[in-house]
Amino acid sequence: MIVVSAISALTLYIVENRATVNFERELKQEFQYGLAALHQSQQIRHAAILERCRALVKKSRIHAALEDNAIDLLYPSAREELRDVMENPQDSSSNAGLHGLSAKFYRFLDREGRVISPPTDIDIGQLSKTEESQLSLPHTPATPQLGYLGRDNPTEGDELYEVIAMPIVSSETGESIATLVLGFAPMNLDALANHPALRSGIDTNGRLYLTALSPSASAVLSNKISNTQSGPATRNSQRVEIDGTPYLFFHTILNPGSLFPAAYEISIYPLADFLFRQRELRWQVGGIGGLVLIGGFLISRFLATRLAKPVEELAFDSANNFALRQQAEAALETTNRELQRSMRFSADASHQLKTPVTVLRAGLEELLAEPHLSPRQCDELAALVHQTYRLSGVIEDLLLLSRMEAGRLAIDFSPVNLSHLIDGWLDDLGALPDPLALKAETDVPPNIYIAGEQRYVTLILQNLLENARKYNRQNGRIHIALRSDETQVVLTIGNTGRPIEPEAQEHIFERFHRGTAGENIPGYGLGLNLARELSRLHRGELRLVRSRDDWTEFEVKFCPSARPCLNKVS
Amino acid sequence: MLRSSLFVSISFLLIPLIGQAGATIEGHVDLPKAPTAAVMNQRYEVITNGGVVSINPPLAVVYLEGNFPATDTPKTEQMAQRNFTFLPAVLAIRTGTRVEFPNEDNAYHNIFSYSPPKRFDLGRYRTDERPVPSEVFDKPGLVTLRCDIHEHMRAIILVLDTPHFVLSDTAGNFRLTDLPPGRYTLKAWLNSKTTLEHAVEIQADSTLRSDFP
Repeated sequence: MIVVSAISALTLYIVENRATVNFERELKQEFQYGLAALHQSQQIRHAAILERCRALVKKSRIHAALEDNAIDLLYPSAREELRDVMENPQDSSSNAGLHGLSAKFYRFLDREGRVISPPTDIDIGQLSKTEESQLSLPHTPATPQLGYLGRDNPTEGDELYEVIAMPIVSSETGESIATLVLGFAPMNLDALANHPALRSGIDTNGRLYLTALSPSASAVLSNKISNTQSGPATRNSQRVEIDGTPYLFFHTILNPGSLFPAAYEISIYPLADFLFRQRELRWQVGGIGGLVLIGGFLISRFLATRLAKPVEELAFDSANNFALRQQAEAALETTNRELQRSMRFSADASHQLKTPVTVLRAGLEELLAEPHLSPRQCDELAALVHQTYRLSGVIEDLLLLSRMEAGRLAIDFSPVNLSHLIDGWLDDLGALPDPLALKAETDVPPNIYIAGEQRYVTLILQNLLENARKYNRQNGRIHIALRSDETQVVLTIGNTGRPIEPEAQEHIFERFHRGTAGENIPGYGLGLNLARELSRLHRGELRLVRSRDDWTEFEVKFCPSARPCLNKVS
Repeated sequence: MLRSSLFVSISFLLIPLIGQAGATIEGHVDLPKAPTAAVMNQRYEVITNGGVVSINPPLAVVYLEGNFPATDTPKTEQMAQRNFTFLPAVLAIRTGTRVEFPNEDNAYHNIFSYSPPKRFDLGRYRTDERPVPSEVFDKPGLVTLRCDIHEHMRAIILVLDTPHFVLSDTAGNFRLTDLPPGRYTLKAWLNSKTTLEHAVEIQADSTLRSDFP
């Protein structure tokens, strides 16, 4: 937010600065264009004056007076010739359309550039001797010269005249034989300017002619002009401080190369209004920018708060979840450790139990071999030996389950002839006592191979078929079917007998679970659990297909395997 | 064109003198070279340079100065304005001669002179102005004529206090005839500042050779 505010403030500052610079540049350009237009007007006026002067200096009577030894007729002749040029105070209407083109005075200069004394009885415009002497030139010019003549007038204000010196050239030889000097009132630049505040004047002979300017201001400007006169004349503007007020200051030389003293046009424009508007603009830009910044700050803050809320909630939830996950992981770790310890305990216990059981069995069998035992003792001992075998079976199952759960039991897959295993079990079944008079039905195609390890597949078969035998009824039957396709081998084993209670069906694969049907049947509730785990290790599955209406059927799926080649078998 | 016109005028002046009996002076005047200064218009044959009025191409007015009886019947000469030039552009007359200035152009002319021997201003007039504007030149000297309307028009009239004068040709050769015997001063006017002179003694019915210088 601070960065955005800083960038916005910087942008506003740059915009305001550029606006100010552009405004000032446009102001300068506007005045320069205005002054250029004024100068064009002046040039047009000068061209008109020069054209009139050229026509005058060609007049035959003037040439006659100068060339024919008739100087006494020079001014009288010129009076006639210049009648239309000279301003006539009595007849203002005749010159109404010739503003600035009517001469105030005229004089002739001789070949040496000195003023030819005029007669006193002819009105050629009054000039004092000092003023008249200022019209003199170092020599007769070859081209028209422009100069300015100032006149101090304490009562009506200082006057300034524009002086045009036009050489009179001999029509035969082309030499300048005299000079006609005419004085005109200069153009009123202030009146022509579009800007009322623009004030223009002329600086010549070290004197500034600018109306209604205080002496101190004149001194400042004269000093400025004298400084700038040392350098090349330029139309560029500068700033100058007059009486504590800044002004835009333009100056340009009016008569470069003239034989008359150099004259500079001075234009000043007060910048107070401009600076006021600049300050106003600055305040406006600053105020608007500040408001925009504050508004942006509030809006962004509001939006940030709105947007941050879900994020904060998410972060809170995430933190909670993280804590929960850590708790869960800790619990899982604990459980895992407990499980590992339990499995280690089971395995250790199984290992530790196997030896005493074996020793116990060996001892019982040794006692059973004694010759003087009574038949009842023999039966007791035989029952005890049988129990040691059961105990060993349970220990083996527990050990196997522990290995499976510890992940240390890896199946060494190889083709296993399932059909052959089933046939073998059926043979064993025939050798066992058959109190229930069971009937075995088979639908087993020969040589169905599955992928697995034979001893564990045998365990699966033994558990399922043993269950089918144990949980059967009198004169019951066992149905064994095997079918295979390209993707799986399915073994179904069904048996008659009391079905498993529906509510108990989902728990029959749990460890140490025994249904109500098996209360009088030996077992420890490990068989189905072991069979399912082993079938899953064989990438298969064991499930209860149905158990109702005197029929319980399990299904085991195995992965098929190609028949092993004879060479390998052999 | 103008030169040929000038020669015709000079020949016209010489014809009556040649036909009269009396002494004769003939000779040659070394004329100044033509001005090297730029001439803006070759029609101008009167040049004022540095206050010196001369003729281009250079000519000499040769005249005999002495005490000659005044004539009872002043002559009348003409200097016309034709094609916006004076014709002739150079005219030598005896004091008291009336010169008429007929306007032969279809435009106004305003002939005037500021020269000290004769200042006049004929005002604006046209070709049908009657009587033809004229002036009597009763003081000897050089008179420069101008037109107020046409600045380029220029002519001179040399007013001489003698009846015996002639314009040389452009080579400087001259011939004065019907001269009375006696001692005189023979002068050759070259420009307003230069007049050469010789003292001559003329025998009756003789021909005198006199060259300048």
